[in-house]
Amino acid sequence: MDLDLKGSKVAVTGGSRGIGKSIATLFAAEGCDVSICARGPETIEKTRAEIESHGVKSFGTALQGRDGEAVRTWTRDTCDAFGGLDVLVCSLSAGGGTNDERYWYRSFEIDLMSATRAVEEAYPHLKSSENAAILVVSSMAAAETFVSPMAYNSMKAALITWSKQLAEQFAPKGIRVNCLEPGPTMFPGSNWEMIKVARSRTYSGVLRQQPTRRMAEAEEIARSAVFLCSPAARWVTGATLRVDGGYTKGVQF
Amino acid sequence: MTIQRIKPGDYTKTPIDKTEDPDFGTDMIPKTRYTSREFMQKEWDRLWTKVWNWGCASEDVAEPGDYIVTSLGKEEILITRQPDGTIKAFYNVCQHRGNRLMMGQGNATTFRCNYHHWEYRLNGEFENIPDIESFPQGAPPCGGLTEVRSREWNGFVFFCLDPDGESFEDFIHPLEEHLGPYHFDRMVKVTDWTVEWECNWKTSVDAFNESYHVQGIHPELLYFIEDKHLQIDTYDKHNRYLIPFATISHRVNETTEIPHLIKHAMKEAGMDPADFDGRVSEVRGALQKFKREHGAEMGIDYSDLNDEQLTDDYHYMIFPNITMNTHAEDLMLFRQRPHETDPDRMYFDVQMFKLLKKGEEKPRKPKNERFKHGERSMGLVIDQDAANLPGVQRGMHSEAYEGLWLGDQELRIRHFHKVLMDYVQED
Repeated sequence: MDLDLKGSKVAVTGGSRGIGKSIATLFAAEGCDVSICARGPETIEKTRAEIESHGVKSFGTALQGRDGEAVRTWTRDTCDAFGGLDVLVCSLSAGGGTNDERYWYRSFEIDLMSATRAVEEAYPHLKSSENAAILVVSSMAAAETFVSPMAYNSMKAALITWSKQLAEQFAPKGIRVNCLEPGPTMFPGSNWEMIKVARSRTYSGVLRQQPTRRMAEAEEIARSAVFLCSPAARWVTGATLRVDGGYTKGVQF
Repeated sequence: MTIQRIKPGDYTKTPIDKTEDPDFGTDMIPKTRYTSREFMQKEWDRLWTKVWNWGCASEDVAEPGDYIVTSLGKEEILITRQPDGTIKAFYNVCQHRGNRLMMGQGNATTFRCNYHHWEYRLNGEFENIPDIESFPQGAPPCGGLTEVRSREWNGFVFFCLDPDGESFEDFIHPLEEHLGPYHFDRMVKVTDWTVEWECNWKTSVDAFNESYHVQGIHPELLYFIEDKHLQIDTYDKHNRYLIPFATISHRVNETTEIPHLIKHAMKEAGMDPADFDGRVSEVRGALQKFKREHGAEMGIDYSDLNDEQLTDDYHYMIFPNITMNTHAEDLMLFRQRPHETDPDRMYFDVQMFKLLKKGEEKPRKPKNERFKHGERSMGLVIDQDAANLPGVQRGMHSEAYEGLWLGDQELRIRHFHKVLMDYVQED
């Protein structure tokens, strides 16, 4: 099956590490121009080099996820640099954090508002695309109680509802909107890598619930993400796909 | 990841220059120093009875008449505050029949032996001997308790059993200049534990003289400290290493989320991790800056400390047995005392001190709690060391083990043994 992505223009928020990076480089491997944004200029440079090694164009800006104007500017600059946009993936995240009040604001800005801001700026360009798609990266942690009550889980839940409503609103405009719920994912520099060492009991508790006793690799998440954004999934919109290797136990009817 | 270090000239009071690494060779350290009773006896004769020993905190004997009994091997030492504010220390033994004179700590106007009520003044002289007329030979000509040399320094009391030994100033040099800026005398004791461990006292000293074991014994600290790229400095008797805290080890990948121990350090300083937009590797520098800027409003005087000292662990060993984790706001002091008779056992004293913020109420002074390893937790990190050490001691008795095979990261252990053997002279 051909994903039919070659030549597409893709923007991935937070595409310099982990799942976001894996999504960005997989799009590049499929022949797409890819733009990313993240905190670290060095990681952006490295990822851009990796993207360009597939013979496609890249774009990238170092920014703080809670700087709304910076996210908007990056989105506009990406569309300018690529001359349009076909796919927007919102994967920027503040990660987990304790339940302190400030973390709610941080999660709100970075996980939720960076997505809404990027979508707003991308919308006029997506509208003119032949194969427009938006993918919102939520989390399995939105669907089941997970670790502890914290802003992260709740903001990821908000993303699901929002993306479903977007899907309905954007469908007539030819823009598909889907949502992805990755389960625990291990990659170099992931929070799980830290938790495995620094909070080994939490880690082994989570691993015990994973039927295969391992976490996902970032690319295993990215493959589903890229599929949902590709023309091969053209009848899929308003869907929430959980990719967790069987971690969650609830039955979705 | 590169650790930014303070450069000479940036500050400050505590010397920061790296000392030239001495060449102590690569010879194996014989295990018998840890296991043999003969060596233990030599240590008593040539080290413990000659060297300056940490006795107590000044606040343990804050007021005139306050006293505390501390033990070292077979001896007990009575440390007390005089009416004029100075310190005196005595062998804690009644000249009459050899009974232990005082126990624990408290306040007294005289020291009275509970056996026959022989009574001594705070300065050690006889105060009263009941029925003195029934001693035809009179009172013992010594005139009272046997005094040992003592010295109060920077919030601590030291004693020396050798009446003719080196001066305290010669002994402590150059740490006066190093540790003075921390002002331990402004701190208060918040923890006081004595734990019996099944290992030689040096087995414990060694464990704190290298951070090579962090990856093995304290893996969670890889997300709080740099465990390998340290500055090790050796002086005449004492040594130190400077360990970057509030950062991550070069052995692990940088995460998006700030590791929980680093977050904790930020929160303690009043810096909200949720408002920090930098990377994890940037926290240490930012935290130093934050503390420098907000110290006064937090009620803490950082003026004698350099930026590094605001986050890092300047980790000192006062020879032979004091391990000090010095931080700007607290001190974690370990004293490793030899057992009375058994080279396979020791006493591990944990004394934690904390700097009071301006206007902060002084917490109630903790009582010394004694227990054996495993009876209660001392916090994850010390528990991890404590759980490991008996196995080390046991292993050293094996036929298959000859001695310590040390690397560069264990230079402080070599230095310690060099100084140890300067005292003990022969294996």
